Amino acid sequence: MTLQIVLGISAILFSLGLAAVLTRSHAIMLLMGIELMLGAANLNFLAFWRFSPDPAALAGVLFAIFSIAVAAAEAAVGLAIIILVYRNLRSVEVDDADQLKG
Amino acid sequence: MMCEFFNSFCADPVNAIGGWFVLLPAAVLLLAAAASVVLRNLIHAALCLTLSFIALGVVYLALGAEFVGFVQLLVYVGAVAMVIVFAILLTRPDELERSRSFFSGFGPAGGTAAALATLAVLLGAIFTSPTGDRPMPPAVPVPVADLGKALMGDYVVALIVIGVLLTAALVGAAVLAMEDEP
Repeated sequence: MTLQIVLGISAILFSLGLAAVLTRSHAIMLLMGIELMLGAANLNFLAFWRFSPDPAALAGVLFAIFSIAVAAAEAAVGLAIIILVYRNLRSVEVDDADQLKG
Repeated sequence: MMCEFFNSFCADPVNAIGGWFVLLPAAVLLLAAAASVVLRNLIHAALCLTLSFIALGVVYLALGAEFVGFVQLLVYVGAVAMVIVFAILLTRPDELERSRSFFSGFGPAGGTAAALATLAVLLGAIFTSPTGDRPMPPAVPVPVADLGKALMGDYVVALIVIGVLLTAALVGAAVLAMEDEP
């Protein structure tokens, strides 16, 4: 078990989230892709903490906890925005929210 | 790699299995995440995403970060997945996604190619890094009491900022989603 394997898993997870954000047009799928990318970032924090020469330092674990808290706030605000967009446009497709287009 | 695994297995069987055990939930994690990206039915995608959150929590546990693993299970599986399912049900549940893509000129192929290029760059950087093939050090238990002391000591400013951020975000979300006319 080496650091490279965990980082590789995390890189694949990040790319899956990026593919979801870039290819799907449903706003909730975009949010799901962002959650996958945040999970990959958290996995990186914990992998570098686990393989660090000084695992008694808690910075990696605490950074992951703070990151999860920020992700929860992001999910709440994002879903509120999606519900608001649905109420105004009767659609949750991101292509339909183009009223600022010049 | 097998030889290295065999040597470490003979030297310390429990730690060797404990280290390689990560691969099992990681496989579930990647399969569920891929399914949630590909599936067209939003409810199925959300359920696969929930499964991938559970597998990610198990990966954290297998890496030795017990507290973060349980926080992941509570926050993501308990709250975020449920909020996503709520949002799907509050918007139209039965209409399948239309086939338009984010890059309307390039189609889904453009997004997939960009994601694959990112993956290639990341994997290339990871597997050519000189410090990447470091072996896993023996697990050090992290008592929750130490985490609490660190949060209340060195990281107390960050904790307060997170509290303010969560309050502002939840109040903002409630205000956004509130009906204009009562």
